Amino acid sequence: MTGQSTVWRLLRHNISPGQLVGYAAANLIGLAIVLTAVQFYRDVTAAWDSDDSFISRDYLIISKRVNSLVGFSDEGSTFSTDEIEDLKSQPWVREVGEFTAAEFNVSASLDFWGRGMSTALFLEAIPDEFFDVKPFGWSWEPARDGMPQPEVPIVISKDYLTLYNFGFAASRGYPQVSEATIGAIPINLSVSGRGRQSYLRGRIVGFSSRLNTFAVPEGFMTWANEHFADNTDSRPSRLILEVNTPGDPAISRYFDEHDYESAGDKADNGRAAYFLSVVTGVVIAVGVVISLLAFFILLLSIYLLLQKNRDKLRMLMMLGYTPGAVARYYYRIVATINGCILAGAVACMLSAQHLWHVPLKEIGVGSESPWMAILTGTAIMAAITAGNFYAISRNIRRTFPHPHRSSTRK
Amino acid sequence: MINEISLSHTLPKVFAGMEHDEPVSLSEVWLKELTFRRPERYMIEAESGTGKSSLCSYIYGNRGDYSGSIFFDGRDTSDLTIADWCRLRTHALAYLPQEMQLFAELTAMENIEIKNRLTGCKDRKWIMNALERLEIAAKADTPAGRLSVGQQQRVAIVRALCQPFDFILIDEPVSHLDARNNAIVAGLIQEEATANGAAILATSVGNKINIDITQTVKL
Repeated sequence: MTGQSTVWRLLRHNISPGQLVGYAAANLIGLAIVLTAVQFYRDVTAAWDSDDSFISRDYLIISKRVNSLVGFSDEGSTFSTDEIEDLKSQPWVREVGEFTAAEFNVSASLDFWGRGMSTALFLEAIPDEFFDVKPFGWSWEPARDGMPQPEVPIVISKDYLTLYNFGFAASRGYPQVSEATIGAIPINLSVSGRGRQSYLRGRIVGFSSRLNTFAVPEGFMTWANEHFADNTDSRPSRLILEVNTPGDPAISRYFDEHDYESAGDKADNGRAAYFLSVVTGVVIAVGVVISLLAFFILLLSIYLLLQKNRDKLRMLMMLGYTPGAVARYYYRIVATINGCILAGAVACMLSAQHLWHVPLKEIGVGSESPWMAILTGTAIMAAITAGNFYAISRNIRRTFPHPHRSSTRK
Repeated sequence: MINEISLSHTLPKVFAGMEHDEPVSLSEVWLKELTFRRPERYMIEAESGTGKSSLCSYIYGNRGDYSGSIFFDGRDTSDLTIADWCRLRTHALAYLPQEMQLFAELTAMENIEIKNRLTGCKDRKWIMNALERLEIAAKADTPAGRLSVGQQQRVAIVRALCQPFDFILIDEPVSHLDARNNAIVAGLIQEEATANGAAILATSVGNKINIDITQTVKL
């Protein structure tokens, strides 16, 4: 028999399997909750980066509230540079985009199954990065001299198509149209202002669920405003915001304070996301509390064990064993248990992920890689283990047979 | 390596305020300047309750409840770190405590091995030889808790010798041994001390170990 296992035999004598199993179970539950919550949150918010999902990173289109006082004054309904700068400085704002409105008259006509339709129209342009759809050929440059102007691509709100199909067409007996059909119909645009008039061809190339407008490329808008608008230096009356904490109550508070209103129900989706992050936070906190309690259980258990083995530890160190040499045996127990707990918790997290994978996939949310959760677990376990090691080392050094006079003399 | 151990005005705290009373006033150790040098053989004679085990513990560094100072080659032992003490206890100071401090659940051999694996000082043959000389070889695999006090004393002596040392502190090493075993133990300890060029500090309240004493100190 080696001396090594003799020491181990001495020191393991008072180990209480019940206490260690209790600790392991408690910490396993705590850590599994934390890891599962982290992974769930990551899986669900993975959709953050993919556009158009129910919990997508949020875009809000805001305008100033229309009331009788500002209804006729241009300054009252547009955003000043200061107001935009103030918005940009808000912590929940990631990006601010301005709607550039057409400062000229536009009317559109189209020939639709033999029936001509004509309407006055408004056009707006917003920076490309705020589009949820990027139709092919989404750009416009004016033609060189003498050439006919190229076709103007237009993106309209999906809502308008729905409104036409199920409101207008159904009641008037007009045929319903699909996105593809409508894209095939050329639109004649008549643009006028500043005593000029121009006819261009347009085409609806995409449908956005984010933008409630008739959007044209910025290139076209710049050109058209230069040629037809009286006032080229107009302020935007609508802004599109990309926010990073959707549903943050601070957002609606800010809007109320400044009398802004946001279009659509995106804010409600945002609130759902915010709620999710709050719930995840609570769940993680519960897991952390359980882990923390378990940590103290183990600490108490180790203290008790060290206390019971105090005489033996002292005798070993009387023989010349260093505190580190005897602590090593306890380190090994703690490291083994904590390693098993980490493995168990990761297994729990992975099986839970497996369970929610299918239902989440059905609503278009894929699974994220579990590395982040595993890393979190490893970090937590490393911290707990380090805490345990420190406690063991301190306790054993205190037991060391030493004159303990230096502390009073130095 | 320790060449001399000096005590300077050392006094157990329990004797504080009794500096002029017996036994302190008669002691040649407490409150005196005293130096133990190697390779001398010291016998510290004491009456019960005069602090003989305390003296061993103070020198071995496992207790600090005294006033005054103890120096190893002029270095105050209060300044020694835990690492220093561990090194001394495996390479310079051998100690046989009066209460032996054997692990009751380990066999005699395991008790010896647990020290020897630290120092790697003796081989198994030497250990078996020593056990045979002390007539306890047959008990090598018996748990220490089941040995008689006299047998335990001999196991503890073999264990104490399983290291290189400059000083060996033996606290009543033969209190439970007969004259014949006393002589065998004394022979073994003296052999090892001579081989190490070491000093022996033996204490006794009555049954003295049969070594060639060079100086007797009254505690």
